[in-house]
Amino acid sequence: MSSGSLPKPNRARRELLLALAALGAGVGAARADPRLLPPEQAFRFSARALDERTLEARFAVEDGYYLYRDKMAFFLDPKAADVAALTLPAGKVKEDPFFGKVETYRGEVVVKVPLAASVGGRSIVLVADSQGCADAGVCYPAYRQKVTLAVPAAGQGPGPLVDAFPRKKKWFN
Amino acid sequence: MTTSTLRWTLVAVVAVIALAGGIYFGQERATPPKVGPAQPAAAAAIANLALPDPQGKEQRLDQWRGKVLVVNFWATWCAPCREEMPEFMKAQKEFGDKGLQFVGIAVDQADKVQQYVTEIGLNYPALIGGFGAMELSKTLGNELMALPFTVVLDRNGSVAYTQLGVLKPDKLASLIKSLL
Repeated sequence: MSSGSLPKPNRARRELLLALAALGAGVGAARADPRLLPPEQAFRFSARALDERTLEARFAVEDGYYLYRDKMAFFLDPKAADVAALTLPAGKVKEDPFFGKVETYRGEVVVKVPLAASVGGRSIVLVADSQGCADAGVCYPAYRQKVTLAVPAAGQGPGPLVDAFPRKKKWFN
Repeated sequence: MTTSTLRWTLVAVVAVIALAGGIYFGQERATPPKVGPAQPAAAAAIANLALPDPQGKEQRLDQWRGKVLVVNFWATWCAPCREEMPEFMKAQKEFGDKGLQFVGIAVDQADKVQQYVTEIGLNYPALIGGFGAMELSKTLGNELMALPFTVVLDRNGSVAYTQLGVLKPDKLASLIKSLL
């Protein structure tokens, strides 16, 4: 292992690069399986206020993942208002040998969340509970996500869509 | 030792550690989906675990010390979990008297677990684990705290294998063969 032919600064740099490359290989391999997303990325939650007493909750379910319809729940915390009768959209029906008829969601799920009282002009926190699985053969425990919404005053238009976990900016797109 | 030799030794040591890590984790990754390395402390934590069965009676996992212990984290609401359990029951029946012991830790409600245990005639203990049990599985490499997650302990209580997702029958068979 002779490096006598290289001038000193270059040699030091080469050694450093070698060590870094080796470390990079090790660390790179140690990263978690990129095929399995954390629940907040597999089931991206976002919401907006449609008017002073109606919210709209959305789940963007990644390809290869699904949510259970009967495990979905919404409430405000702190409880600025009760969630009124909720009508969840119909899901895809699967016959489960243990639970019988089970409905699941894939792709984009949009749920209207009516409130029992007006929250116009207030800042509220909408909490969404959901539970889903990956086709790869794993299920996630019930998962809670939250968004803070500035609800427009009565008579004003819908508020902007707010992501619970904003997508990270990527370098190349 | 000259400065240069010292420096190269350092580089070599770092490289070997990093490579070993890469190979080790690379192998782990060969069994999809991948989980991280098992911690000896977590293995000890599993042995010291005491969880209630569906009747509320506390069961210590060290009562099976000396056996090959397969600890399976599951739930009734987890379809892939339920899919693999018949295989576990078969293995328990075939190798139980040779020192193989399955234990299911259900991240679930006791009544649902009891109902399911009765329905399928589960032939190994099902214990009720809460969030703490999932946290424990996290220290064993189940970073996403997803299910099913299975930890195989050898007769000395060391972690021999971890699997996130369904443990394939052929993998289970080879583990049993090498550990029993």
